[in-house]
Amino acid sequence: MSYNKIVKGRKGEEKFFLGNEAIVRGALESGIDVYTYYPGTPSSEVGETFMEIYKEVGMKWVESSINEKVAMEVAGSAYARGAAAMVGMKNVGLNVASDPLFALATTCPKNKNSAMVILVADDPQQHSSAVEMDSRYFLKIFKIPALEPSNPQECLEFTKEAFKISRELKLPVILRTVTMISHARSNVVIGEIKTSEIKDNFDLSKEINVALRLYFLKLKEDHIYNRLNRALEMSENSSLNKIENENAKNDFDLGIITSGVSYSYICEALDFLEFKAPILKIGFINPLPERKIVAFLRQFKQIFVIEENDTYIETQILAIAQKNKLNVKIHGKDPFSYSKENTMLLMVGELNPTKVALALTRITNLKPIIDLNLINKKKYKGLARNPILCAGCPHRTTGYALQKAVNKIKSDTGKEVYFFQDIGCYTLLALPPFSFANVKYCMGSSIALAQGVAQTSGSLSIAIIGDGTFFHSGIPALLNGVYNKAPILVLILDNGWIGMTGQQPHPGSDTRYYKEGSSKKAINLEDFLHGTGAYINVIKHNEGYDEKYLTKLRKLIYEKGLDVIENRNLHVIVIKDECIQKTNKRQAPVIRYINTHLCDNCGICFSKFQCPAIDSREDYAYIDPNLCLGCGICEEICPNNAIKMEE
Amino acid sequence: MNIDSYTIVVTGLGGQGLIRLLEILGNALITEGYKVMTSETHGLSQRGGKVTCFLRFGDRLHAPIPMIGSADMIIALEESTILDVLKHAKPDKSTNLIISTYEKHEIGIEYPSLKDLLEILYENSDNIHFIPAKEIAVKYTGNLKTMNTAILGYILRFLPLNRSIIEESMIQLFSGDALEMNLTALNEGINL
Ligand SMILES: Cc1ncc(C[n+]2csc(CCOP(=O)(O)OP(=O)(O)O)c2C)c(N)n1
Ligand code: SF4
Ligand code: SF4
Repeated sequence: MSYNKIVKGRKGEEKFFLGNEAIVRGALESGIDVYTYYPGTPSSEVGETFMEIYKEVGMKWVESSINEKVAMEVAGSAYARGAAAMVGMKNVGLNVASDPLFALATTCPKNKNSAMVILVADDPQQHSSAVEMDSRYFLKIFKIPALEPSNPQECLEFTKEAFKISRELKLPVILRTVTMISHARSNVVIGEIKTSEIKDNFDLSKEINVALRLYFLKLKEDHIYNRLNRALEMSENSSLNKIENENAKNDFDLGIITSGVSYSYICEALDFLEFKAPILKIGFINPLPERKIVAFLRQFKQIFVIEENDTYIETQILAIAQKNKLNVKIHGKDPFSYSKENTMLLMVGELNPTKVALALTRITNLKPIIDLNLINKKKYKGLARNPILCAGCPHRTTGYALQKAVNKIKSDTGKEVYFFQDIGCYTLLALPPFSFANVKYCMGSSIALAQGVAQTSGSLSIAIIGDGTFFHSGIPALLNGVYNKAPILVLILDNGWIGMTGQQPHPGSDTRYYKEGSSKKAINLEDFLHGTGAYINVIKHNEGYDEKYLTKLRKLIYEKGLDVIENRNLHVIVIKDECIQKTNKRQAPVIRYINTHLCDNCGICFSKFQCPAIDSREDYAYIDPNLCLGCGICEEICPNNAIKMEE
Repeated sequence: MNIDSYTIVVTGLGGQGLIRLLEILGNALITEGYKVMTSETHGLSQRGGKVTCFLRFGDRLHAPIPMIGSADMIIALEESTILDVLKHAKPDKSTNLIISTYEKHEIGIEYPSLKDLLEILYENSDNIHFIPAKEIAVKYTGNLKTMNTAILGYILRFLPLNRSIIEESMIQLFSGDALEMNLTALNEGINL
């Protein structure tokens, strides 16, 4: 499917590509050899597509790595050895991968074909992220070039440009997208796929690849005063930084500076207001082209800077204006005031054409033909609907057992119980009816967070972590806890896959059930855990109807929780219950139904357990056969034996 | 046909197949030579939260997201979700509101009454279309998954697309029984 869609097609042909698909095509048109990634919305489709096609197109290597740091390192040394390499992640992934990137950014491979592109997909508005993070400030720390496309066509072209720049300068280049670009779909004209130019003999001399003061200060000097300087020249001359509507001078002496998706918003807003203004569109976002910016600023009395999230560009424009003694008023988010009154747009949340148009009316006194403020006053709201776990999700079962066990622990011991959450589908257990969350930061932090409270109080600290996240970054924290004898209870919710981002495999996933599996060797989580010397218990939910599973799970959590409190031991419970989106059960679910004679509408299944397939009717509960996925747990929780298997 | 810009807002619940619907429409429009833009919500969406996507086509469009007050058509795949997107309706009340009568209730939250809903809808549009998508899907195909296709069939009357182009677009994405069922639902939607 992906092969036909992405790889087939001649130069000049038009495709209907997602931004992320266009990035794949752009990389193929640059002769890419290696792609490594860790899944994370909105970047995942790039890796998944490469995974599907890489053998057929003859790329050297593609992997879904254990975490972003490892992905960066695998791609990094491939780059050092002469590959055209690319690594992909979401915004916060760059935090995890930042340590190796400091060194990698300064090294200077000698192999002609060496090129390294880093895809970082930001997520303004946190559509699917735990924090709203603008990755662009990293560009100043790493001192590397970066490009930001404003539509799917540019996703293709900028990816090619990124490879070209990196190959020429021997600097890694960041390709920054946002959700509305990665997940926008549009007509994309394709070019020609390029074959790889990687060589079997290569140079890995230590002088250019080893981060050690002896070599490194010299490399750093070359990095900044030679390669970055050349990058600046490229940026000054690049057609990616271009002026549009150059002659559209207006009564307000106003010019616009923008980049990425914001460019499309301002164009939409200008059209709507039937107003024209020159636009400096910045596609080459680091280093910024100072001379080009100065020449642009000189023409205006007012400038409006539009960018998503932080004021990465605006702050630099202010500095450039000051350095060049230009008297121009800069409107935007005002990086120095932190006051909502002084700002045209907020640093919080995502922009859209309407917000941009409203800001423009405040700068210019233009009157829109329709009253946007009036429309914005419409306050209709549909039902409040929280995202919920899938019908039949194993995490709900765990949540239910955990709730019972914890209530009993609390009443038997009088101790408080605290929950340390992690990042995955199970994070939703933080919401009612379970509300298991006291502290939660980022991926892999739950086990260490539990220790901070456990080491300083007598309460019970429970870490809730998924198998995917445990492999990603939970392991060091567990070892820390074992070594320091932290009295915590760790629940590893082993659903077999990285559920949240689309059921991708991780190193513990069953190799029989995914495409690349036959070439992998799964890590046995239990064996691994036994090696740590912690107390380990494993419980498995068998397919079909596993009688009294819930009771067994509840008892196990109760017993081990009690031992943590009484004897200050560290316990790990591995709960093996597969993601319903992956299980065989889903192919032919044994649907449950409610015997209305036996049901007394007690509400346990629909309000305490809250499977979304179960609804409340006038006098009894009702299971929607279109939604039930047949996990069978409701059968065990019903106190009236009213839930049965469909014959 | 030359079109400056035509904007469709689609809203519903995660897992209702919004992206599929956009893909079928988008592919058909591209085949007809239009410039198309969609914005899709991926990730987290299989889990029941509210989802809104946009599909725009024409010669004069810039952003994947439209200005408020500018949609030509708003489709709600679940009845109450129409309330979340009425800011996109044009103030001259010309926007076509296409509303599936399919309802998904939430435990402990009151579902808007039809009377209240209608009152609000009449304030916002003179072109309101309720589609009994669930009934059509169940009656003719026995499968709720074809609800969107019935709606797709219905909206064709407003779009510069003929049936065969949409059918072709569906053939690209479905096969076997699923294709048969969807073609049936499409037909019922067209004949509504
Ligand atoms: C550093 C970082 N990388 C990637 C992501 C994207 N992401 C969100 S949850 C998740 C993994 C979830 O897997 P798992 O812990 O197995 O839980 P499940 O969703 O399967 O329940 C990922 C990769 C992230 N939030 N942070
Ligand atoms: S078996 Fe019961 S709990 Fe499981 S999905 Fe069906 S209705 Fe929900
Ligand atoms: S994707 Fe899997 S783990 Fe995530 S909510 Fe659905 S069933 Fe649960």
